[in-house]
Amino acid sequence: MTASSFKDELVHVSALNEYVYCPRRLYYQRYHDEIGTPYELVDGRSKHRGQAERGGWTTERYFRDDDLGLHGKIDLVESGDGTLTPVERKRAESGDYYPSDEVQLAGYCMLLECAIGESVNVGYIYLYSSDQRHAIHITDKHRRTVREIVRRISDMEVDNVPPLTDNPDKCEACSARTYCMPAETAILEPEKANETGWEGHG
Amino acid sequence: MKASEGVFDESVVYVTEQGTQVRTDEGRIVVWDVDGDGGELATYPTEQLDTINVFGGVNFSTPFVAEANEYGIVLNYFTENGQYRGSFVPEKNTIAEVRRAQYALSEADELAIAKAMIRAKIRNSRTLLSRKGVHGTEVLKDLGVRAENATDEDSLRGTEGEAAERYFDRLDETLTDGWTFEQRTKRPPEDHVNSLLSLTYVMVKNEVLSALRQYNLDPFLGVLHADRHGRPSLALDLQEEFRPIFCDAFATRLINRGTITHDDFNADNRLSDDAFKTYLGKFDDYLQEEFTHPYFEYSVTRRKAIRQQAILLRKAITGELDEYHPLEMTR
Repeated sequence: MTASSFKDELVHVSALNEYVYCPRRLYYQRYHDEIGTPYELVDGRSKHRGQAERGGWTTERYFRDDDLGLHGKIDLVESGDGTLTPVERKRAESGDYYPSDEVQLAGYCMLLECAIGESVNVGYIYLYSSDQRHAIHITDKHRRTVREIVRRISDMEVDNVPPLTDNPDKCEACSARTYCMPAETAILEPEKANETGWEGHG
Repeated sequence: MKASEGVFDESVVYVTEQGTQVRTDEGRIVVWDVDGDGGELATYPTEQLDTINVFGGVNFSTPFVAEANEYGIVLNYFTENGQYRGSFVPEKNTIAEVRRAQYALSEADELAIAKAMIRAKIRNSRTLLSRKGVHGTEVLKDLGVRAENATDEDSLRGTEGEAAERYFDRLDETLTDGWTFEQRTKRPPEDHVNSLLSLTYVMVKNEVLSALRQYNLDPFLGVLHADRHGRPSLALDLQEEFRPIFCDAFATRLINRGTITHDDFNADNRLSDDAFKTYLGKFDDYLQEEFTHPYFEYSVTRRKAIRQQAILLRKAITGELDEYHPLEMTR
């Protein structure tokens, strides 16, 4: 088996965030490429470069760990004493971040730990909207969550569409909504919405 | 509930100006007047487009084609008077899973989908007639039931053919003086109405094709229309439900409002250049008109409704939904 084909078996760190947000969205992205390109994403890509960060230089590095089952590029902030801290940049208009962002950050920290052989217990979430950097303490609960989600993502199959989300509010800004058609599905085949947040919306 | 935001209505562009070039410029798509001195005739954000239809003497710059590929923009080529010539279909790499499901459809699955499409077509035929004040169409209702109960594709086709005949007989009553369907012939168009209908079927078929391609279904693998080399059978299948309510409704509107007159046709029954431009403008306006969706109850453009049906068809094929839910207008 070549390295590149093995890499396909690994979970990309960005998928952690996607999965926590909505497994069905991740499914569409993975198997059907029906995610759309939301404005935020396009904008985030362009902002990703050349952003001056307070408190040190950032560099982007690729990590992978086969035992952890994760890989991906991570932005690192180097502080005065040479400590490297992973940073997740968020474009959220609300000036807020979400549990899914914390999980993704925890994934970064765990990847970095594997690479340097030391504990990494803090990561940053940087919000463009407020120009604020929040330090997040990574706990054992975070780590367990990351391992569990990596397992679930690895178990995803093309013939198993995850159910509609538990929280229809999440659909409001979702770029996959046009394809996913959650409300329409609840109307056309109500049983498909059973035990989801869309139940009874038909 | 409102329709989800998706840029459908600005996503399809028609370029009919002869002697122009479509090129890229700093993340925008520009239609440039090469032969004349009009300069930039139109610009669009690249992310916004998914289809560009070009007619006649329009060319594309090489960087633009690379860009179209990257952004998944389909380019459809037509002759100056609207005959389809071919397409540039961008490379996408998630086609396999959808195609796998499509090729794996059983005959029973295909028949179920085809029955839903024909049932809807017949229902929509009755609806269009009743909107125009033509009543006494119970025979169509009966044929709809017969389509529903068809046990094989041949009998379904037979029912569909009979329903079409009955329907066009009555649709004739809705045309203003001096126009008639008479015997519908396919090619060559023997009269002006048929020419207009044929053109409209081609235009809507291209919308359906774009929608199928956008969702990576194979347009050449049908569920009811027999697969013949070079015939986009699935597009023809999916088009069935739109024929009465979108195609026929549009053609009769152009005639009854006097938008198109007999003087607009050449000796060969084709629209003159100016009339064709008028036609294209009206067609695009028509697809961008909104109506209240019969199931979802939000306002949606006809163009988006077609796209949604392609999505629903794909969900039926991939098993995400149990059945195909056609667009059935009951009022």
